[in-house]
Amino acid sequence: MKNRNILTALLTLFILIPFTVSSQNQITGEEAIYKVYNRAEGNDQSGKLVMTLINKRGDTRVREIAQFIKAYGNDEKKIMFFLSPSDVKNTSFMNWSYDEKGKNDDQWIYLPALKKVKRISSDSKGDSFMGSDFTYDDLGDRHPSSDTHNLLKEEIIDGEKYLVVESVTKDDDYIYSKTVTWIMPDKWIGYKKDFYDEDGDLLKTLTVKDYRQINGYWIITESEMHNVQKDHTTVMKLSDLKLDTGIPDSKFTERMMKRGHR
Amino acid sequence: MYKILIKLLKYPRAVLTVILLMTVVFFISMKTGSRMETDLDEYMPQEHPAFVYSTQAEEWFDIKDSIIIAIENKEGIYNSGTIKKIIDVTKALQKTDGIEKADVTSLYTADNIIGTEWGLDVKPFFKKAPKTAEKLQILKDNVRNNEMIYGRLVSEDETVTLIIAELEDDAFTTELYQDIRGLAAGFEDPEKIYIAGRPIVEGTMAYLGPRDMKKMVPIVILVIIIILLLVIRSFKAAFFTLLVVLISTIWTFGLMAFLKIPIYAVSTMIPVMLIAIGVADGIHLYNHLELHLEKGEVKSRSEAVSQMVYSMMNPVIMTSVTTAVGFISLLTSQVYPIKYFGLFTAFGVMSAMILSLVLIPSGIIVFGLPGWRSQKKIQIKKEVNTIPLSVWFSQKIISYKYFIVILTAVTIAFSVYGMTKVWIDSSFLAKFEKDSEIVMTDNFINSKFGGTSTLNVIFDSKNEDAFKNPQILQAVEDIQNDVENSLEVVGNSFSINDYLKRMNKVMNEDKESFNIIPATNNLIAQYLLLYEMSGDPENLWKVIDVKYNKANLTFQLKSDSSQSITSAISVIEKHLPRLEDLGVGVHYAGSGYTGLVFTDLILKGQILSLIISLVTVIVLLSFMFKNIAAGIIGSVPIIITAFIGFGVMGLFNIPLSTTTALLSSIAIGIGIDFAVHFIEQYRMNLSDKKGKIAAAELTMKTAGRALFFNAFVVIAGFIVLTFSVFPPNRALGALVSLNMATSLVGTITIMYIMLYSLNIFIKPDKGETNEK
Repeated sequence: MKNRNILTALLTLFILIPFTVSSQNQITGEEAIYKVYNRAEGNDQSGKLVMTLINKRGDTRVREIAQFIKAYGNDEKKIMFFLSPSDVKNTSFMNWSYDEKGKNDDQWIYLPALKKVKRISSDSKGDSFMGSDFTYDDLGDRHPSSDTHNLLKEEIIDGEKYLVVESVTKDDDYIYSKTVTWIMPDKWIGYKKDFYDEDGDLLKTLTVKDYRQINGYWIITESEMHNVQKDHTTVMKLSDLKLDTGIPDSKFTERMMKRGHR
Repeated sequence: MYKILIKLLKYPRAVLTVILLMTVVFFISMKTGSRMETDLDEYMPQEHPAFVYSTQAEEWFDIKDSIIIAIENKEGIYNSGTIKKIIDVTKALQKTDGIEKADVTSLYTADNIIGTEWGLDVKPFFKKAPKTAEKLQILKDNVRNNEMIYGRLVSEDETVTLIIAELEDDAFTTELYQDIRGLAAGFEDPEKIYIAGRPIVEGTMAYLGPRDMKKMVPIVILVIIIILLLVIRSFKAAFFTLLVVLISTIWTFGLMAFLKIPIYAVSTMIPVMLIAIGVADGIHLYNHLELHLEKGEVKSRSEAVSQMVYSMMNPVIMTSVTTAVGFISLLTSQVYPIKYFGLFTAFGVMSAMILSLVLIPSGIIVFGLPGWRSQKKIQIKKEVNTIPLSVWFSQKIISYKYFIVILTAVTIAFSVYGMTKVWIDSSFLAKFEKDSEIVMTDNFINSKFGGTSTLNVIFDSKNEDAFKNPQILQAVEDIQNDVENSLEVVGNSFSINDYLKRMNKVMNEDKESFNIIPATNNLIAQYLLLYEMSGDPENLWKVIDVKYNKANLTFQLKSDSSQSITSAISVIEKHLPRLEDLGVGVHYAGSGYTGLVFTDLILKGQILSLIISLVTVIVLLSFMFKNIAAGIIGSVPIIITAFIGFGVMGLFNIPLSTTTALLSSIAIGIGIDFAVHFIEQYRMNLSDKKGKIAAAELTMKTAGRALFFNAFVVIAGFIVLTFSVFPPNRALGALVSLNMATSLVGTITIMYIMLYSLNIFIKPDKGETNEK
């Protein structure tokens, strides 16, 4: 029974591949990556982010965050409030990122125990995002023009078709030498991504665990980043997602950071 | 037993062939199956609580031994050339096999957390070497203002900077060492580059020790051959005596290889023991044969051989069995390499016994008697001198017996005093010459920085988030300050507090008054979160556990000696009650600490096994001589040898280490040999009923002479080692020679006096010479 299934799958694969390749022939790797980068996700978004950090011994730490994101053209503002653990409750973090090449993010932190908002200046988007296995770039900040893209092949996994694109960095000093992305061509979701370190060894694997259509946008709601070299994993799960609710600009201010999440 | 031997000796050629075949088999086994164990962790008793905890802690906090590379520029490091060199060396190390990229720390990889009037700034000190004087000045200021870097990665006089490469467990190989040396050499000039750190010291020792031994051992053997030829005065006799040692060594190592037991560093002491102990049997056998032939009573080879075997079989068996039992007592040790050392040395001693009783007689039958007759002239001359000499000596000993007893008592008293001064040292650096490159480099880096050796103090609590509690952190802080301030040898310390104090200061406009532990749990938690978000979170997990219920405090020490580690521990222990009240337990970890525990274990095991074997030997000897007093007297040379051995070490400030402690085993081996041969000969001579004095004099002439030859040969051989370039090998040579000398003197003076004066064996029932 099982064998026959595999056989039919293989047969379909052989019959379909020539067609699919020819039908998608005009798409280049670069175009595919831009499609993913520019995928519409609504003008603003709010929801709860649960971040689970798992180290190689299996110790887990869970952080619950309320987050608000608003797009300003290709720029983006984001504000986050820690809900738990209780000793960091109401710690807030604000990030303004810019599309302009070479312009660093503006970042602020508010520590309720210190009652002060402080700016954080960080040089590199290759920095870890909140101590997780994600960097700011991994979360979608990296501009496609920083890399050279190349469509490697098409692949069918579990009946779903993917475009496999290799992106090689143009900058020698970058933390990744290349990435390989499995893209769903109908939704323009990067479903899976392998990150290779400067020496060309596999460093991390990103896997999308769940995605859904909300208000007509394809939104990734759960993803997992596994650092294979450190055997450390971060799972990010979004819930209570609300899109295009018209978050006011005043949400992204120091005053709001101090006020905390209500 | 005797009958079996005699039957065997009827087929000497067959016996020789069998021995040869067995040796070939063992030799092949040794050549194909031997494996050196160089991983020091394999030596540690893994089930011992201190090691179990340390191993766990090393995993929790990723504690590893580091190679330290120092770059010195006497003009100061703040110029683009030297900064460029920091970048290049860091990158080169990161690309070296055996070193993880993230495990290299230098000014290039370090994050600089600085507070500005508007916020917090986390960035590298530099990405490319700064070119302008202005940028170099900024870098200089940044380093000076960062307590986590200044004095730790850059010396306070700003002429030296460190690059620290943590090494994976057992990644250290001589190839890696050569690679790093080559790498460093390539970057020399105008800067000077130094390499230090425990892996380097350990590696150099593992390399230098055996290499020096390889050079010295042939000389030792050559000297032994020459001296043996001089005293035995027969090529054949010397040849067979050494053949016994050689074959027993091959059998031992062959068996080890066959049983898949690796060769440990202490196993290299097995041949040392076998040389020191194994030549004795041959010397006694040939000595007896020669003295017997002098009488001219025996004509044929086989007659001479049977007579030799008849008289010498008992003492040879007795000495070997007791020696073997002495070594087997090392099985009580908790350390596997020591257990194996005891077991296989015992096997070697038993092999040497069998070979002496079978190979030597067979050799004589097949290849003829040693050619002493050709030296008749010297013999006669000698005869005139020797007999009076031994008799004279024997008489003098007896007439000065009270003086000797007092002298012995004084010597023992001195030794006991010396023993109280004996100190244990697990230091690796102490094993090198004071002016060797490795020690000089270490001193240099220690003079500029906190220290090249480390001690990890692990705090743990049952409560999660315990180390977000400012009270607990303050207690840890007080320990840090107390140890740093009260001990000269402790240069630096590092813990979660250093991060928190830095964050607190930076978040409060860089005010020095905030360079303290933050006041509340929440503030601490928020600082830690902030650090995780802005710095490299991996760094945090080297000082704290993710559940915040374990913390790792690292002290940097300027010496790896046991004394410096114990002095730090004793200061820490004073703080234990306060921590206990806070629900925090304290343990220690790291290679320096486990090394200390390990040495301590070996010593305790050694002392225990010494006592056990002493008791066993007394019992065995009492049983063999059927006389308890004789048994006790027989243990006198062992006691004297052990006392003087340890006493001399205390008086001459030689620390007890693994090697020197093991040498006390030699005291047992040699002490028994000397005592048994002498006592047995004396007992046999008494049975001739020529009276006590005649028996004593004859014993001095026969056994005494052989003992002297034995001691002379071994001392001459091992004294060669005192010219070694490697200090531990020098100590080995000196102590083996010392043990030999004291065993000899103890036997022919005080033990002789006791045997004579206490009228041992002179009872209504005369001593019998039957086989057992």
